Amino acid sequence: MNSITRGKWLALLCLVPFAVFFIIFQIAPLAWVMLHSVQVESTWGLDNFSKIFSSKFYRQAIQHSLEISFWSSLFGILIAILGSYSLRRVDSRLRDFVNAFANMTSNFSGVPLAFAFIILLGFNGALTMLLKQAGIIEDFNLYSKTGLIILYTYFQIPLGVLLLYPAFDALREDWRESAELLGAGAWQYWRHIGLPVLTPALLGTFVILLANALGAYATVYALTTGNFNVLPIRIAALVAGDISLDPNLASALAVILVGLMTLVTFVHQWLLKRSYHVAR
Amino acid sequence: MSFVSVQNLQKSYAGSPVFNDINCQIERGEFVTLLGPSGCGKSTLLRCIAGLTAVDSGRILLDGNDLVPLSPQKRGIGMVFQSYALFPNMTVEQNVAFGLRMQKVNSDDSQARVREVLQLVELQDFARRYPHQLSGGQCQRVALARSLVTRPRLLLLDEPLSALDARIRKHLREQIRAIQRELGLTTIFVTHDQEEALTLSDRIFLMNQGRIVQSGDAETLYTAPVDVFAAGFIGNYNLLDADSASRLLQRPIGSRLAIRPEAIVLSLNGELEGLVRSHSLLGNVIRYRVEARGVELLVDVLNRSSADLHPDGQRVSLSIDPTALCEVA
Amino acid sequence: MSRAEPGSATLYHRLVVYLLFIILLLPLAGTLLYSLATSWSASLLPSGLTFKWYLALWSDPRFLAAFGQSLLVCVGALLLSVLLILPLLFVVHYHFPRLDALMNILILLPFAVPPVVSSVGLLQLYGSGPMAMVGTPWILIGCYFTVALPFMYRAITNNLQAINLRDLMDAAQLLGASTFQAAFLVVLPNLRKGLMVALLLSFSFLFGEFVFANLLVGTRYETLQVYLNNMRNSSGHFNSALVVSYFLFVLVLTWAANRLNKDKS
Repeated sequence: MNSITRGKWLALLCLVPFAVFFIIFQIAPLAWVMLHSVQVESTWGLDNFSKIFSSKFYRQAIQHSLEISFWSSLFGILIAILGSYSLRRVDSRLRDFVNAFANMTSNFSGVPLAFAFIILLGFNGALTMLLKQAGIIEDFNLYSKTGLIILYTYFQIPLGVLLLYPAFDALREDWRESAELLGAGAWQYWRHIGLPVLTPALLGTFVILLANALGAYATVYALTTGNFNVLPIRIAALVAGDISLDPNLASALAVILVGLMTLVTFVHQWLLKRSYHVAR
Repeated sequence: MSFVSVQNLQKSYAGSPVFNDINCQIERGEFVTLLGPSGCGKSTLLRCIAGLTAVDSGRILLDGNDLVPLSPQKRGIGMVFQSYALFPNMTVEQNVAFGLRMQKVNSDDSQARVREVLQLVELQDFARRYPHQLSGGQCQRVALARSLVTRPRLLLLDEPLSALDARIRKHLREQIRAIQRELGLTTIFVTHDQEEALTLSDRIFLMNQGRIVQSGDAETLYTAPVDVFAAGFIGNYNLLDADSASRLLQRPIGSRLAIRPEAIVLSLNGELEGLVRSHSLLGNVIRYRVEARGVELLVDVLNRSSADLHPDGQRVSLSIDPTALCEVA
Repeated sequence: MSRAEPGSATLYHRLVVYLLFIILLLPLAGTLLYSLATSWSASLLPSGLTFKWYLALWSDPRFLAAFGQSLLVCVGALLLSVLLILPLLFVVHYHFPRLDALMNILILLPFAVPPVVSSVGLLQLYGSGPMAMVGTPWILIGCYFTVALPFMYRAITNNLQAINLRDLMDAAQLLGASTFQAAFLVVLPNLRKGLMVALLLSFSFLFGEFVFANLLVGTRYETLQVYLNNMRNSSGHFNSALVVSYFLFVLVLTWAANRLNKDKS
């Protein structure tokens, strides 16, 4: 055998440990979930799914998940668009500072974030009390859908800025200048050049935010101790709860969640390929 | 027996052949060039000789021994890459000493040899610098020193000048050639630049689509191209099909004809009537586009003084040196 | 760039950026203030400032244990990741560049499959039997490897692409180095900085991981996030001190990574 091909076999051998760990901790659990989602009492069937879709409770969980994810992603991306566009247009010291800060706050999610919000906006939160005294709000319930949307929006903003800020690089100043010389006004520039160039990046970011919110568990769990009805909470309750354990039903719910996420991830990959700012 | 002898070399990638049955011989101390357009297989051939790419079949003999079963480490071949491939974490000195370190040469010897070879490439004052502190030309000289320090039996240069700008390129290629002569080092140089090939080489192998199309010294390649590709790749030949050629020379010609633009002389009275269509100034040469007997020809004339200039639309006569007519396949 | 903008536009952009900053800062600042307050209710500012919550926190043995256990799990997971991912990247990029496309799909899995889904399978597969790991830090180390994988893979790939791996390896081998020598002497030293940045950033988000820790291990090997969640019924001031301490720790890590990234010459 040639020394070069022998080297290739040795190289393949180096991949084995990685493959083993990846299979044990990523592939196998996923495969288990897939298989057991279509298993009821040791027979095969779609009973788990029909049970889910005929139950008002589970339908509500799916609906809540979708609603909270959609609205928080929408608000998150709108704030991120305004923010990152303006970030490009302020002096570099302020820009670098706020950018670095947004980077750091992207780690501020889950349990600590929920606690911070309880302290500020909970029933006896400092901000809630302040706003009540000032007569701006009557009452505010952080533990409701509205509260969760606000909370989710908060952790979407840094991620949105992180993803969108580089996308604005795609808008080159000389395009605007050429457009102006060709007689286009600001609005026409955005309508014909700016937005079309940014669209894939905007949609792609939106989709990532959506996936991020759909899979989020820690924040809502810590906020409501698992009492708010969303998909991840339902799944966890069926495998690690105190009362009714049903891993097969949990698997079916998990497959629905993964299905939504996969759809979202594929859409993202597809949009990314069409995006102008990914120089490949 | 030649010093380097490549015999019946074959290589294909994923079923499509890169080259088929390559044969070539290189003498000891010779500087040869593999010249050809990108994708012609010249770099792959070089990598096969270095042992960086496996061959499918064939032999590569160096001084009578077959290199094919040997790993690159054991071939005793030096190579300079287009990208320099300097190790960014090491100083110039450490880069150059790397090969000696691998051979476990003791540090006194190693230091002396590194100093010597850095002197050779005139970089003795840069020994402590890192690659990112050097210019492109300096980087490539370090890479050259690094490949020379282990005293290779054969030096391979893979488009070493392509990443450099024009002025440095000219200077460095002369330096490379001078060092090669001084050391008497057998060298294979890969380039797609015909000027580089013509000025540097003892011999040129012109490659196209995985074949060696023509080999010979610069003079031969320049004046006697064997086919249309060779004529088109080297120089700015006027390439005429058989019909046009027959019409122009007013005698039957069976194949295509190549005429170098500088082999045609313009005068005001000659046997062949022509009309200047346009001209452009290429520095010391003026290139005319002349129409004669319905055939358009490029004619290069030395730019002596503006008084000699033939304006566009002027009638001129052409005379063509009959020895410069070159029938090509 | 430098384009003359009308003053009002500049003002608008500055305002938006400040507003963004304030939105992001508010929960943190509130928590910080709360953690330093003796008591704070229904007034613009707390009634007095104190460090006693921090003292209480940093002298709680359960907190210190959780902090240490978090550190151990994260360091363990990152060591494992480096040991598994470095050879993988090297082999993929040097020997089988076409595998990169496959890897780019595989590393989407940890994104597309949220931890809560993996946990369902992990609890059933490794809850009992020959590979029982649930309730031990080992399962967390394995899971955190998958969490860190996409980020580490991308970050190190970018570094590898910047150094022209193939030519460096080829040059080293022609100079007599074996593949191992070439990888250790030539490639690895050039990846050191990029690797450090990737490790620091991975550490900062692994340190905040809650789902796997809570579902798979819980109080049996309490990590910082699980401890934080379990302390929900203690004083809000105490919890704030905890949140602020955690965030400061992560802040230092990300700041260090940023600095390291910037001096890259």
